[in-house]
Amino acid sequence: MTTINREATPEGDNIAGPNQLHSDLHDIWGNPRGLKALTIVNHTTLGLRFMVTGMAFFLLGGLLAMLVRTQLALPDQDFMSPDIYSQVTTMHGTVMMFLFAIPMLEGLAIYMIPKMIGARDLVCPRLTSLGYWCYLFGGIILSFSLILEMAPNSGWFMYTPLSGSEYSPGLGSDFWLLGITFVEISALSAGVELVVSILRTRTQGMALHKMPLFAWYILAMALMIVVGFPPLILGSILLELERAVGMPFFEVTGGGDPILWQHLFWLFGHPEVYIIFLPAAGIVSTLIPVFAGRPIVGYGWVVFAITVTGFISFGLWVHHMFTVGIPQLAQAFFSAASMLVAVPTAIQVFVWLATLWLGKPKMKLPMLWIMGFLIIFVCGGLTGVMLALVPFNWQVHDTHFVVAHMHYVLVGGMFFPLIAGLYYWLPLFSGRMPSETLGKWGFWLTFLGFNGTFLIMHWTGLLGMPRRVYSYETGMGWDIFNLLSSMSSFIMSAGIAMVLLDFALHFRFGKPAKHNPWNADTLEWANSMPPSAYNFVSLPKIDTRHPLWDDPDLPRTMAEGQHSLAVATHGRREMWGTDPLTGKVREIIHLPGNSWWPLFAAMALAVVCLSLLTRLYPLAGIAVVVAGLFLLRWSWENGAHPKAAPDAEVAPGDPPLHSRTMDGPGLWAMSITLLANGSFFLSYLFGWFYLWTVSPEWRMPETSPLSLVGLILAGVALTAGVGILEKLVRGLRQGKDAGLAVGMYCISALGFVQVAITLWVLLSADLAVTETSHDAIIMVGLAYALLHGGLGAVLTLLQGLRVGYGYVGAHAPFEPAVVAQWWRYNLVTFWILVGALAVLPRVIGS
Amino acid sequence: MSITMQRLHLTHPLHFVIGLTLWCIWFVAVYGGHAIACSVAPPAPEQGVFTLVNAMLLVVSIAAIALLAVLTVGCCRMARRHEGRLRFNATVSAGLYLFSTLSVVFAAMPIIGIPPCL
Repeated sequence: MTTINREATPEGDNIAGPNQLHSDLHDIWGNPRGLKALTIVNHTTLGLRFMVTGMAFFLLGGLLAMLVRTQLALPDQDFMSPDIYSQVTTMHGTVMMFLFAIPMLEGLAIYMIPKMIGARDLVCPRLTSLGYWCYLFGGIILSFSLILEMAPNSGWFMYTPLSGSEYSPGLGSDFWLLGITFVEISALSAGVELVVSILRTRTQGMALHKMPLFAWYILAMALMIVVGFPPLILGSILLELERAVGMPFFEVTGGGDPILWQHLFWLFGHPEVYIIFLPAAGIVSTLIPVFAGRPIVGYGWVVFAITVTGFISFGLWVHHMFTVGIPQLAQAFFSAASMLVAVPTAIQVFVWLATLWLGKPKMKLPMLWIMGFLIIFVCGGLTGVMLALVPFNWQVHDTHFVVAHMHYVLVGGMFFPLIAGLYYWLPLFSGRMPSETLGKWGFWLTFLGFNGTFLIMHWTGLLGMPRRVYSYETGMGWDIFNLLSSMSSFIMSAGIAMVLLDFALHFRFGKPAKHNPWNADTLEWANSMPPSAYNFVSLPKIDTRHPLWDDPDLPRTMAEGQHSLAVATHGRREMWGTDPLTGKVREIIHLPGNSWWPLFAAMALAVVCLSLLTRLYPLAGIAVVVAGLFLLRWSWENGAHPKAAPDAEVAPGDPPLHSRTMDGPGLWAMSITLLANGSFFLSYLFGWFYLWTVSPEWRMPETSPLSLVGLILAGVALTAGVGILEKLVRGLRQGKDAGLAVGMYCISALGFVQVAITLWVLLSADLAVTETSHDAIIMVGLAYALLHGGLGAVLTLLQGLRVGYGYVGAHAPFEPAVVAQWWRYNLVTFWILVGALAVLPRVIGS
Repeated sequence: MSITMQRLHLTHPLHFVIGLTLWCIWFVAVYGGHAIACSVAPPAPEQGVFTLVNAMLLVVSIAAIALLAVLTVGCCRMARRHEGRLRFNATVSAGLYLFSTLSVVFAAMPIIGIPPCL
């Protein structure tokens, strides 16, 4: 917390002029330089870091793509060996999907969302920082495998058994599984805080139906990340356990099933396509009204389409598995669902066309990329509908037709809108305009090169050319098409190089941009260009979807501090916490300042990743404990802690600080985190019941190895803990905190009792985890329960200590309510585990 | 309790997700139920579509269609009674319920034409 030695008047009036306000706010929010720049938690800086790092990985992925096209340019090439080719194609897909597309769009959302909704930062700034470091370290670890010539080579989908230890004995698969899981921490961090920020920190009056469409898209994307990533995290953990320890989750002889991997992967993998597409469509829905000079046609239709896409995309995953032998009726369900997703996409396309039709479009540089997007993405969507048809899907399965379709959807649906968005917001990033000449050259070369590369692949695919094969014989009729495709890919590369050159040069040579150069309607353009660390001097009340069109003077009045929260004398980083539906102000959210803890925690997690990779398990265990300690130390600096908000004083008439209420954003962040956790847990249950039902060699013992009495006793301890905690939280709601510390210590003790009994049940079960998938999956389930029980016990222990320090109590009642959510979740999942692992097998039998 | 009732009101944005959540639950129930039925007690192929599996899947689908259709009508009525934010919420919810209803109809159609376990 920064101290400003100037007093506000007792009435809360701002006695400072605009310049003084800027200066005061800069003292509180400004970024440090030098080594301390590593502690920055500000969303503007971290958003830029995400995007710059994403572009670096894009160059790596692009380079790998050029190597692939060089290899395939001519028949019978030996430019690369088959193994290196497999590594290059696997890493191209992996880098583009996990290290470029998602982090890049997350970076844009992290940068843009607070500015668009009239906030000063994201709601969990240290989480943004942790996410960035995990992304950077995970990306570096994964990329390093290329230098070692140990990169994964089983395809970006890592199908078992090819990726298992028998067929991929090296470290390649481990690099993928551990590196990607590490990077996914970043995606989930961003997902959680974007959801909470959009729902709880919009400026005053910005009700849900007045929110910018981009925020709707990002809300859907973030929720999809939260629900969609955990199945892959579970799959990666199981596969790594199989490879490292020999637990046979995907080996048929041990009672596992390789198809389980495909289910877990595509449960993530298909929504992933829409996780990438939705924010890009958000860019399109933001830009088209601006350049058409009119509001979007059918705001409600777009919200409808976003919601439908978010849900339906989770019901399509089996269309990636039409050839694995599932019954025809099941294929028909997924074929129908795959066709359904075309409906919301078509609605958006018609909305965009209608907006252009009814407006007066100006074909500026960003609009060129939008037009390119419309053409390419519609073609990709149409071939998608073709692929949803089972017989056609069988026909072109694993051919270059699928490669062509995928690139039309992903490059057309993500890359083109992304570049449009970057060109559009470039003046905001830098205060300068891009070069129209370089930009147009870049666009046309990319557009023509792209179509030359991938349109042709539809034909080679229909002619039967398989994908993932490093070479082909001459005389198959594919030679000329491949040569043209490869030549076009280099034209496309030249176009992208020109765009990147334009981006780089504009920072120095670009013409200074006038304020709001495109005459946009959304709040981000009320910022200075480039923006300050705190975004806005004062936070306005908004009662329209187009604040800058309806009040062009708003940027000036905001900068002069004529709106709310234009006080900095308290030294806190503050912004509004608002009602998620109506946008009415509820509380003042105070945010933490710069911190080393996210970096330290990410470094410890990197050590965990590397030591697992090198099989140094004791070191991995130590690093896990160290990472946990860093994270708990981070959580210590909250609420009424001296580094957070020891003084709860606010201006008369202002609402209280969030840490002095029972409904702060932390509660929401915990709920969304538990949603992700629940997705992981449901994926686990899916795995358990899938293997039990489908696995051909599944072996379940006649009697369950788990002690039911032991599990019930553990559950009773847990239930008692939750009961006491609920009573304490109810008391805090009524302003009573008598016996709070003792109560917390009791609950913690009950938590440790639950852990001890569960551990005893696990150890006494004598599980043969390397022999049967039955025992292995029980082991994972009980480890899950132990981890959750242990963490719950530690968190309540810390709460007891915090009561003693005076950080928690009737004056600051927030944190126990957050911890109670964890305990409730733990209670529900524990009893479900008892039912699934110990009761059902006794009732149904094997 | 009053907060819960407030959230169940058809003008609450929670209904943006209820219809499609019901669609997801129906989809998982039909896909999972079908897989279990085929694994545990597959009917003879010569029975064609006239099997207990198809019948059960159809019953579940019709129940889902009926529930979603009722919610669609409810949201439409509620949209006509309100203005502004509440009307927006109810209208979008009505559209989403309608889409969910039609989605169940569309995705359930193969049940009447394809034998279950081939």
